[in-house]
Amino acid sequence: MSRRSLPGLFSNQVWAIAKNTFRESVRSRVFYILLAFAVSLLVFSYVLGFLAAGVIRKMVLDVGLSTIAYFSALTAIFVGIGLVYQEVEKKTIYNILSKPVSRTRFILGRYLGLLLVLLVNLAAMVAVLSAVLFFVEGFTSRILAAASCIFLELMVLTAVAVFFSSVASPVVSALCTAAFYVIGHTSSALPELLLPAVESPLARKVILALYHLLPDLNLLSINNLVAHDIPVAPGFYPKAVAYTLLLVGLLLVASALSFERRDLV
Amino acid sequence: METAIAVRDLRKSFKGHLSIGRHPVLRGVDLTVPRGVIYGFLGPNGAGKTTTLKILTGLLFPDGGTVSLLGRPLGDPQARARLGFLPEAPYFYDYLTGQELLSFLGSLFGLDRRTLEERSGALLSAVGLEGKGGLQLRKYSKGMLQRIGLAQALLNDPDLVVLDEPMSGLDPVGRREIRDLILDLKAQGKTVFFSSHILADAEAICDAVAILMAGKVVREGPLDALLGSEVRFWDVTLRAPEGFSPPPEAAVLARQGSQVLLRVEREEALQVLLDRARAQGASIRAVAPQKFSLEDLFLAEIPKEEAP
Repeated sequence: MSRRSLPGLFSNQVWAIAKNTFRESVRSRVFYILLAFAVSLLVFSYVLGFLAAGVIRKMVLDVGLSTIAYFSALTAIFVGIGLVYQEVEKKTIYNILSKPVSRTRFILGRYLGLLLVLLVNLAAMVAVLSAVLFFVEGFTSRILAAASCIFLELMVLTAVAVFFSSVASPVVSALCTAAFYVIGHTSSALPELLLPAVESPLARKVILALYHLLPDLNLLSINNLVAHDIPVAPGFYPKAVAYTLLLVGLLLVASALSFERRDLV
Repeated sequence: METAIAVRDLRKSFKGHLSIGRHPVLRGVDLTVPRGVIYGFLGPNGAGKTTTLKILTGLLFPDGGTVSLLGRPLGDPQARARLGFLPEAPYFYDYLTGQELLSFLGSLFGLDRRTLEERSGALLSAVGLEGKGGLQLRKYSKGMLQRIGLAQALLNDPDLVVLDEPMSGLDPVGRREIRDLILDLKAQGKTVFFSSHILADAEAICDAVAILMAGKVVREGPLDALLGSEVRFWDVTLRAPEGFSPPPEAAVLARQGSQVLLRVEREEALQVLLDRARAQGASIRAVAPQKFSLEDLFLAEIPKEEAP
């Protein structure tokens, strides 16, 4: 029998679990329903573009990228919240963790598997949007840049869903992940709205500290810039990638730590 | 003799209702399972068998005590790589086919594709699922799921096979097949440690057993030593003429028409009974020597544990 050394098993085990997670999702009907709905909306953006005469391209890009972002986020939350919890509930995890697989690898495999699903999902939607745009005014490579940033946000959101899924029920996970998403997209308004109205230096520091403690998913989004043909600031991409990796790293470490010593009753 | 499993003073408790207090499930379990034997882990429902097995396989963490598997401490990946485990009423990904499940779980051991294909094919036929590997698991019957569960437990050609209620939910033919498979594993030099509350199955195949009651092992050892080889009593069935009077040493257990079932506890009394039966014109239909059974041993332990 051919056996690899245990440390060498790391990537194989994570990849095997990721591949199985991918297979699980693509064999689920819900995945296709969500995808079909998103594709319908993208095609509908073409109709909306005609209604808004003169700004067809902007309209298609605006509605199209928003549709992609929202449906990808919905899929990440919807699938992610059950990613670990359901394995424990359905006891399918017994067959994995009784083998020489660490819980951290299991979490990592499930996370990467869902990312793979989201990547395929995203690619399909970007292809449809590109085709719609091609009929309007021609393809723009900036869609790919926007899609890459959407994927960064999905990396964070999936890590959040995996974290909650490893410690809470799907309902609680869904609420918490959705709350994270909303906070992440509104936290940047906190200093913008409050700082002009506050004069106390201490209060201003508290507001800024609070803002820095909260996640800011707008730091990862360029949808508006792409739709309005505004150039992206230099240094945006490295900062966005670093911020994503920081959040994902923290969340996955927290997931692994909370799951590592948990009894699987 | 080398030990496959050594458990000392294993303790485990769970949170009580509404997280108030703790409910002890294992209260100091001691076990010694030698290598190369079939070892039955017996006990009534709720005794703590599954909890023990889950600790052995790393699914639960003990509150205290020590566990060694194949000479290595609990949680050692090297030991886990040589372990095969079948959970109780196993659950699998129902969207996978049997073959896909074995490929996926086998890849967790680092088996390459070719080895996996060969091993999966051999295991599918060994557990009686030849030709069913392409079927999705949602279409498998309960018995088939138990078989694929056993197949996945053997993917890594383990030295130690831990089975949680492997015969539960199977029909008599299925139980017989699993028993034969366990005997075959022993013939290959593997250690089989299985939990069961079906005593007849355990008695038929085990070399040694432990009886767990309320979280403690109350009896442990080789089956022969626990049960002994002496005959405890004889049950004699006679077709006797009207007016047949048995000797006082023989107790009449049942009488139906001319058929009489009697029990004697000593060999001399048996001879007296048989002589008298012949002398009075009775025909001897059956003489069944009865040894101490696992069920007797098991039932004998229950009142002790239930007593305050």
